[in-house]
Amino acid sequence: MATPLPSPLGTPKDEFLAQVRRSLGRPAAAESTEPAEPYYRLTEDAAELERQGAAAQQRREQEQTGLVDRLAETAQLRGWQVFRAPNPEEAIGYVALLATAQGVTQAVRSAQEVFTGLPLDAALENLGIPTITVAQDETHSRAGLREQIIRSGLGLTGADYAVAETGSVVVMPRRGLSRLVSLVPPIHVALVRPQDVVASLDDLFLLRRLEYHRNGGDMGSYLNFITGPSRTADIEQQLVVGVHGPKEVHLILLG
Amino acid sequence: MPQPPEIRASLFVTCIVDQLYPQVGVSAVRVLRRLGVAVDFPADQTCCGQPLYNSGFTRPARQLAERVLHSFADSQYIVVPSGSCAAMLRVFYRDLFAGDPELERPARQLAERVYEFSEFLVKIVGVTDLGAVYPAAATYHSSCHLLRELAVRQEPAQLLEKVAGLGLAPLPQAETCCGFGGTFSVKYPHISEGMLADKIGNIQATGADTLVSCDMSCLMHIGGGLSRQGHPVAVRHIAQVLDGAPEGEAVNG
Amino acid sequence: MAEVKTQEFVAASGAAMQNPTLRRALRQVGTGFNGARLEAIDEVGPQLWEEWREEAQRIKRHTIDHLDYYLEMLHDNVTKAGGQVHFARDAAEANGIVAELARTRQVKLATKSKSMVSEELDLNQALEGIGVEVFETDLGEYIIQLAGETPSHLVAPALHKTKEQVAELFNDQLGVPLTDDIEEMARTAREALRQKFLQADLGISGANFLVAETGTLVIITNEGNGRLCTSAPRLHIGITGMEKVIPSVQDLALFLRLLPRSATGQRLTSYVSMVSGPRRSDDEDGPEEFHLVLVDNGRSKLLADPDLRESLYCIRCGACLNICPVYQKIGGHAYGWVYPGPIGAIVSPTLVGLKQAKDLPQASSLCGACREACPVKINIPRMLLHLRHKLAESQDPEEKSTSAMDSLAARGYTWLMNNPSALTALGKLGRAAQQPLAGKGKIEKLPLPLVSQWTKTRDLPLLPQRTFREIWAQELGQAGSSIASPTSRDTESRDAGSGG
Repeated sequence: MATPLPSPLGTPKDEFLAQVRRSLGRPAAAESTEPAEPYYRLTEDAAELERQGAAAQQRREQEQTGLVDRLAETAQLRGWQVFRAPNPEEAIGYVALLATAQGVTQAVRSAQEVFTGLPLDAALENLGIPTITVAQDETHSRAGLREQIIRSGLGLTGADYAVAETGSVVVMPRRGLSRLVSLVPPIHVALVRPQDVVASLDDLFLLRRLEYHRNGGDMGSYLNFITGPSRTADIEQQLVVGVHGPKEVHLILLG
Repeated sequence: MPQPPEIRASLFVTCIVDQLYPQVGVSAVRVLRRLGVAVDFPADQTCCGQPLYNSGFTRPARQLAERVLHSFADSQYIVVPSGSCAAMLRVFYRDLFAGDPELERPARQLAERVYEFSEFLVKIVGVTDLGAVYPAAATYHSSCHLLRELAVRQEPAQLLEKVAGLGLAPLPQAETCCGFGGTFSVKYPHISEGMLADKIGNIQATGADTLVSCDMSCLMHIGGGLSRQGHPVAVRHIAQVLDGAPEGEAVNG
Repeated sequence: MAEVKTQEFVAASGAAMQNPTLRRALRQVGTGFNGARLEAIDEVGPQLWEEWREEAQRIKRHTIDHLDYYLEMLHDNVTKAGGQVHFARDAAEANGIVAELARTRQVKLATKSKSMVSEELDLNQALEGIGVEVFETDLGEYIIQLAGETPSHLVAPALHKTKEQVAELFNDQLGVPLTDDIEEMARTAREALRQKFLQADLGISGANFLVAETGTLVIITNEGNGRLCTSAPRLHIGITGMEKVIPSVQDLALFLRLLPRSATGQRLTSYVSMVSGPRRSDDEDGPEEFHLVLVDNGRSKLLADPDLRESLYCIRCGACLNICPVYQKIGGHAYGWVYPGPIGAIVSPTLVGLKQAKDLPQASSLCGACREACPVKINIPRMLLHLRHKLAESQDPEEKSTSAMDSLAARGYTWLMNNPSALTALGKLGRAAQQPLAGKGKIEKLPLPLVSQWTKTRDLPLLPQRTFREIWAQELGQAGSSIASPTSRDTESRDAGSGG
């Protein structure tokens, strides 16, 4: 790890903000004071946020079946290949068939809860497709795991959330969940459980914000929405699928 | 039965109609009078000031605007046969006089009484069917200011649909500017011409023999291009069509 | 800072109009992204869309009006998340910060995801100057980097290029065979850049939004290059304008609905990435360091002018470009600086100096389509008028720049319009003078200043026999003439509106 800079570069913060204040027509020397009419979203107290969060959570549980149906619909529209697996066997069968059909010789997966009790690794190994769990330990270094990801034709992850409104899978990279597993291999498979699904972007960000305040102000280093395959329209505004990210994305809805 | 109170309209004829297309003003007066509207014409009116305002000359624009505020101070309604000039009076005068201790209020009060001609017919007089006859295969061009500053979208079509003998073909890309833009058309003629060429192409695609609009400035621009290129498409202000002024009787478009 | 060519607008836009390849490339501008945008709005419903726009404008206005407060909050929360914030007054300082970070961290190779601010700063040149190899990784940016050009659009930087041109460029620069298959071109870029991503020491990104409450940088992308730039290298530098801050992470729900729909008509882009500091110690991967560079570079001038401040609400979706009939004709390069189109005509003159860019606010028909398209309801035409007002009448000699001719014309016009009798007299003169021209019933050439520009491609009507005010005075205004017919001397003449 490089040593952090003892102090920031460029213009000192206070000087920079003084210029901003001057431009706003306020005394430059003043402290940045809270807006006279505070923004409504930053003024609720913790209890209010908890109440809203509980309501969102309740919505999520009550409407689960409907939300899963809606997710299946929007995800398909956004370019996911959606497969509804009523039981673990069918999910494993789908992945096995996909890997074989696409000539995958090696797969990587994250170490998320969704894989517990799902004998996916064994199924793929049986087909001659080694499946590596991307999680550092004494024998697996960061650099070594990265090499394995690069060599893999298929990346498997769970979802921290899935958003019915947008057809998105949300992953929050951390220990056991590499940023690259869902990004570098040409095929990404996301396994989504009913309890992962939220209705809307509003609910998602509300729940994230609640969590942020609950845990003392840590968002985690990264959060990614994945909504269909990698695409571009940079040449003649024509849509083309598959640039730097996966060209093929599969969403398996469990249970 | 008691008679409804008389509607009194002061015509702000616009300088382009006054100087170049007086027949449009004549038609507007005739249409209004046929509907029982009492029309007057404050004689000291000239230009709304928009050419100056759009060129950044707000001080002289304010002088001309003050003139309008004065000339139309007592009018019940101010009817303008132009979406663009009506927008100047209704929308931009408020910007022009914002914060002016004396004139901000008069400007706001004026704005409330200003109507573009077709809008006035539908919203204030409350008619769409004027019993007009105008045999032509037409298409309609909306001026940008009429559309976006005054939000007059439906009224011209409502009026034109009721005109006997008038076919109305939809104009492709109807909401795209024709490229006039006042001094824009002479300061950046190459861009303006490119926009005009697209507009003319779209008009031709409709097969129309007549182009109708609520703004003579757009029609001067588009008509000038049509004429130069030898396309036999006549341009008519909506007042002329509603006046049923047949082709032979028209003056200057 | 990026080279300023705004002074060359007239010549550059003229050349653009004459360029058949550019014409072909620009064909889709009005229909492609713009058509998809309209469809997406239609699906939402105009009423709800309008509510979203209103709300977005409210949030932006509040944040910009209290920018110091939210920048402070952002700074504190980025720091808390383990990142470092650097403030840059201008382009030189911003480039210096990035170069210093690169130098002290022995950076040899950098990959960049799309950032308009880095284009504004000409950051690549600054890094190359200290021996860092920089690769643009967004397909459009990669194309223009290979071609040695600048972006011509906020969202699709290579919009001015046809696929044939891209194929030739790839053939020439990368040695791949010519193709007309866009998918293959995308594959070529993937293959050419894959190793660069994995070898890069530094990833540079812009930001679509910065969340003050959580210290989060948000990027909205489609290709996956943004994710790679912010995940694979050991160092991540986010660099962006100070106006990108929004208060709460919950505000993102709204902006994520507005931005992709307005930009490309997508309901959501393929990826939205939210970066809050560097990787945590037990994360599997991610950069060891995260730095955020916040740039002023003239934005405080936009902030200081109440009439221009709302230009800082811009979320760089490009909708105003796509719908603009002028942009559709001339493309982005003619504007002469990084930010083209209607919003560029506000931002560029303020950032590079109004006198350097006086054509930009004037080269608009003020049709207002941009305002209607803007997802945060920025009143672009009103700001164009404000800049024109500065050019014509500003007390500041740094701003005022109007020709003697224009000032004289304005004064003359005002005098004339304040004297109706003079107007009538002039009309009489004109009618006499036009006699020699009257043969065809229209004017095909009039050698007067400005008017001659008009009559190059358009006819002008002849002056009528009587003005309206004369007809009114003589007939219409008389009692009992309620439905007057025009007399024959008014109808005898030409039909200027008819070509036949």
